[in-house]
Amino acid sequence: MEDERSFSDICGGRLALQRRYYSPSCREFCLSCPRLSLRSLTAVTCTVWLAAYGLFTLCENSMILSAAIFITLLGLLGYLHFVKIDQETLLIIDSLGIQMTSSYASGKESTTFIEMGKVKDVVINEAIYMKVIYYLCILLKDPMEPHGISQVVPVFQSAKPRLDCLIEVYRSCQEILAHQKATSASP
Amino acid sequence: MVGYSPSPLPERVIYGFVLFLSSQFALILSLLWAFIPESWLNSLGLTYWPQKYRAFALPVYLLITIVIGYVLLFGINLMSTSPLNSMYTITENYAKNLQQKKYQEDASSTLRDIPISEVNQMFFFAAKELYGKN
Repeated sequence: MEDERSFSDICGGRLALQRRYYSPSCREFCLSCPRLSLRSLTAVTCTVWLAAYGLFTLCENSMILSAAIFITLLGLLGYLHFVKIDQETLLIIDSLGIQMTSSYASGKESTTFIEMGKVKDVVINEAIYMKVIYYLCILLKDPMEPHGISQVVPVFQSAKPRLDCLIEVYRSCQEILAHQKATSASP
Repeated sequence: MVGYSPSPLPERVIYGFVLFLSSQFALILSLLWAFIPESWLNSLGLTYWPQKYRAFALPVYLLITIVIGYVLLFGINLMSTSPLNSMYTITENYAKNLQQKKYQEDASSTLRDIPISEVNQMFFFAAKELYGKN
């Protein structure tokens, strides 16, 4: 079963949340970030090239122009490969664990998996990030202390959706975690 | 501080008056030093006083320090904000002790930190009727 809705992130950009219910114990949430806009790309390229042209008129060295072209190309490729995240996915499987995937604009995908034995809870936390934002995070258990938290893993770090989107994801995750606790408590 | 109160006391009157007098004296002295020419000061016998350049330089130093202080304070605030993946957004060293107190039936409830999972349940499950329409 698939479901798609549109939300907005903390800066006002549009996000699309796709929810897939594979089974009562397995769900996937896919957040698509807004694509690289032509306007910002043109603006950055124009500023870099105008600055290079200004330097060229000062120094009369044509290497500056070719260096600017080179820098723009390399910078764009680096940005698409290392910085610009197109889609973030959160997959929860009841008995196995939680998997987070980030796919970059150049096609690269980076995946993190946390097994269910380590997961204590999935909560919505508030923190300061230039202003107060809500973000979803996974709390990991502390092996020493039964009620302690060893680590906080934030999810959807580059999409940064707002509270309404987070509440949807939070409720679904809590249903699965409650289901998992019920089945693990009864042997 | 135990027993501290900001009320006026006889000692404080004297401190205040001494401060007032000394600050007025320092002001008059610095104005005199800045305006009287070097030759007159030398003829009076006062030769080892700071250069007149300092009359401009020290106020400028002070103003720039104040401006940089604003920038520095902002930077220190940014640096000491804990990142999103830090434990300090959820708990801290002193809070941990309170979490482990056991619940007693007959006593009034002790002041303790509510774990974030419970807070989330209260906010985001119980308030379904507020958000549940969309």
